[in-house]
Amino acid sequence: MIVLNVNGREYTLDVPENKTLLEVLRADLELTGVKEGCDRGECGACTVLVDGKPFRSCMLLAVEAQGKEITTIEGLAKNGQLHPLQRSFIENQAVQCGFCTPGMVLTASAFLAENPQPSREDAARAISGNICRCTGYTKIIDAIMQASQRQQGVET
Amino acid sequence: MNRETLLGKSRARIDAPAKVTGEAIYTADLKLPRMLYAKVLRSPHPHARILSIDVSKATSLKGVEAVITGRDAYGEKWGVFPYTQDHALIAIEKVRYIGEEVAAVAAETEEIAQEAIQLIDVRYEPLPAVFTIEEAMSEGAPKIHDQYERNLNIHVSINVGDVDKAFKEADVIVEDEVTSDGETYAMMEPYAVVAQYTTDGYLDVWVPNAGPHVRSKALSNLLKIPLNKVRIRHITIGGAFGGRSEVNPNDFVTCLLSIKARRPVKLVLSREETFIATRQVHDMKVWMKTGAKKDGTIIAKDYRAYYNGGAYSSTGPIATSIPFYVYEETYRLPNVRYNGYRVITNKCARGMFGHHGRAFQMGNTIQMDRIAEKLGLDPMDIRLKNALHSGDKTATGSVITSCGLSESIKTAASMSGWKEKRGKLPMYRGIGMGSLAIMCGFPMGFRSGSSAFIRMNESGQITVFTAIVDNGQGNENMAVTIAAETLGVPIGDVNLVNADTEMTEHDPGAYSQTATFVSGNAVMRAALDVKRQVLEIASSKLQVSIKDLDIQNGVVFATYDPSKNIKVANIAKIAMGMGNNIVGKGAYFPKISPDREWIKNPFGQMAGTYSFNTVVAEVEVDPETGVVKIVNVWEAQDCGNPINPKTIEGQIEGCVSRAGVGALQEELRWDKGLVLNANFLDYKMPLSIQQPSVTKKLITTNDPEGPFGAKEGALTCSMNVYKAVVSAVYDATGIWIREYPITPERILKALKRKKERGKQNHL
Ligand code: FES
Ligand code: FES
Repeated sequence: MIVLNVNGREYTLDVPENKTLLEVLRADLELTGVKEGCDRGECGACTVLVDGKPFRSCMLLAVEAQGKEITTIEGLAKNGQLHPLQRSFIENQAVQCGFCTPGMVLTASAFLAENPQPSREDAARAISGNICRCTGYTKIIDAIMQASQRQQGVET
Repeated sequence: MNRETLLGKSRARIDAPAKVTGEAIYTADLKLPRMLYAKVLRSPHPHARILSIDVSKATSLKGVEAVITGRDAYGEKWGVFPYTQDHALIAIEKVRYIGEEVAAVAAETEEIAQEAIQLIDVRYEPLPAVFTIEEAMSEGAPKIHDQYERNLNIHVSINVGDVDKAFKEADVIVEDEVTSDGETYAMMEPYAVVAQYTTDGYLDVWVPNAGPHVRSKALSNLLKIPLNKVRIRHITIGGAFGGRSEVNPNDFVTCLLSIKARRPVKLVLSREETFIATRQVHDMKVWMKTGAKKDGTIIAKDYRAYYNGGAYSSTGPIATSIPFYVYEETYRLPNVRYNGYRVITNKCARGMFGHHGRAFQMGNTIQMDRIAEKLGLDPMDIRLKNALHSGDKTATGSVITSCGLSESIKTAASMSGWKEKRGKLPMYRGIGMGSLAIMCGFPMGFRSGSSAFIRMNESGQITVFTAIVDNGQGNENMAVTIAAETLGVPIGDVNLVNADTEMTEHDPGAYSQTATFVSGNAVMRAALDVKRQVLEIASSKLQVSIKDLDIQNGVVFATYDPSKNIKVANIAKIAMGMGNNIVGKGAYFPKISPDREWIKNPFGQMAGTYSFNTVVAEVEVDPETGVVKIVNVWEAQDCGNPINPKTIEGQIEGCVSRAGVGALQEELRWDKGLVLNANFLDYKMPLSIQQPSVTKKLITTNDPEGPFGAKEGALTCSMNVYKAVVSAVYDATGIWIREYPITPERILKALKRKKERGKQNHL
């Protein structure tokens, strides 16, 4: 039995030791917003926050995530309010097929928490481990910059 | 009073909220009651005879519900055309590439399915195999299919004018041989299929696809199930780029398992399987020769283009043609000979990719620029000189309607400072240009057209039913916007039912740039039909003639006196009360030559319209490392009248990433029939830090046929950006790279050669 704290709720689960956090989140908790793009740590689609830091859930065993706060894309909106990045991704059309989006948004949210006023180059570097095949990244970076400005109170 | 428009505004897409919250459901996310999990046993040999398959151990494993092999198929072979039916979709007798489907298992869990796969005993007799175009066509090469002599699968032959005579009259002639390695589509969503067969004979399928109706028809034929009982269902799709166009062996296998088990079955491929066993992109070898007059007029072109097609025909006749057509849709070619050969090899089947023939298009750029240089012309001016204009005819007889080509060339040049930069930048910095057109759709028989219908509820809100499929490019948002704009109701009053073969009418699918031009047109016509019915009732209620009525925000009003008005919702109720609910229907069939055929008759009108684009790219080459960096990109796109400019910008930026940055690093690497880099560590995907800034300009041409004047919105950029890059690399280094991608190794090798030759440009 393992206990996982996901999106503010505790789950007691009977899962084999060799299961990755990605498998448990998707299969056992049905948090299918966590995407599997490669299962080898190479694409970033499976990114979740572990104690606020972005982690590739395909590279982490579920047992190792015990005692930590895990946030998936399903847990990012608070009280029915979208996270500023979710809003800016929508408004800037930073989403095309959407398969990379959950991982991108979570990576960006951890990044903005640490770097509230980044440059475009910083933002590009922050998401350089997340692959997007559709957008060419420009609008994703636009969205990150807009969310950052909003958090600074600069309405754009 | 004029009403406000939704067009030309960068509104948020309707599909975005579900995607940023994780609510959007992709195929691999589906879980149905009693669902089984599938695994596929794939061939370890590039070419082998199957001597026997023993599934007894796998079948008796606890938790296994179905095991299938080629014996469970129905003996039909898949081909896009009757003359290309060569793919059984599960191996029978022979395997023809590493990764081909040999058997499959459906079990209670993925782990059991995996274990069962390993218990299947297949005996093979390995056969000699061929991997390259040269090997496949050589004397005495092993034959991969009985029907293809010398492994020649497709030959497209086009001959217009008198090419030999024209070369004699040419003042300057250039000849080049260009090769490109094959790529992979690398959509972020690994391939997945869910199939549910039920005792009443219905088969429901969820699968990433670019055209639900062509998919259901293929499965119906192959599985011998009546068409009405095969239903492709709507699902969110994680990218296509040309790689989801036709039925896939993995669809077929999953359906067979579900039919056998009478339970829903889900198959999710690993990233590696997606690389090696879905679809790949042709590697190519092209010889080409161009002749021009002193003033830069191109008078002769001769091509021999070889396409490594892999083991099966796939979209072969089309893939072997499109690279030529996008070129003939751009420039006047009075005398041209094109011989395209698609060759069968022991690799995974290859399909069409938005880049449409890297070697072919780069070769054309090289020759255009070389001729300009020999004649002392600006590469921009030679393009303008040969550019097609509205009203011109292509070599094979397509009339060009709206055409912003020359404007796109001039705009991209002036935005980029072309005249001040080309040939004038410091060493190792250079600028290059690429221009191309693309057809919005091509003849697909009755499937070239689309039809849609719209119903209205008692609140005056509508539901659009169309087969339009969204692979990520924004087609759902396009359909809803067109309907809302046409009718004059808010976007929030428009629901969409799409990409479901049960609930929608026929449609070509989201390839060849048809979605907006053809499918969007059908939606617009259905909305016009609704509008007509609404206005007829409003006219009699308000006693205002129809021509003086319009609709905005769900209210019908007299344009000369908006105080005379009635809500659409009221009209909907009135219609219901008359027993004549408002239902609109619309169809669009492009003006094309119905008897045009890729091989037998490659002449006549190809498409209802064409769109045009020019890209200028500036690069920096590091002579020490050979690394090329794309510093800046400018592009000018004629997309007719843009419906949602930001959506088009996003498409352009994506093209610059996949095709521009991709041209420097993307290639499948092989050891004979084995892909060596079937993962994202070794297959170099373009990353955020490599993305150059892209300055964009949309050229509005207002196409006379397109919905609100719209046409294709950016695929051309995909081809032009790599053309511009190869030309820029020449400007930076004085070297024409003729092997693609333009990797650091190739740059270093070429720089070394150049040094050895002593600063002499290789012209
Ligand atoms: S799925 Fe985890 S990094 Fe790709
Ligand atoms: S939006 Fe498709 S992969 Fe990023």
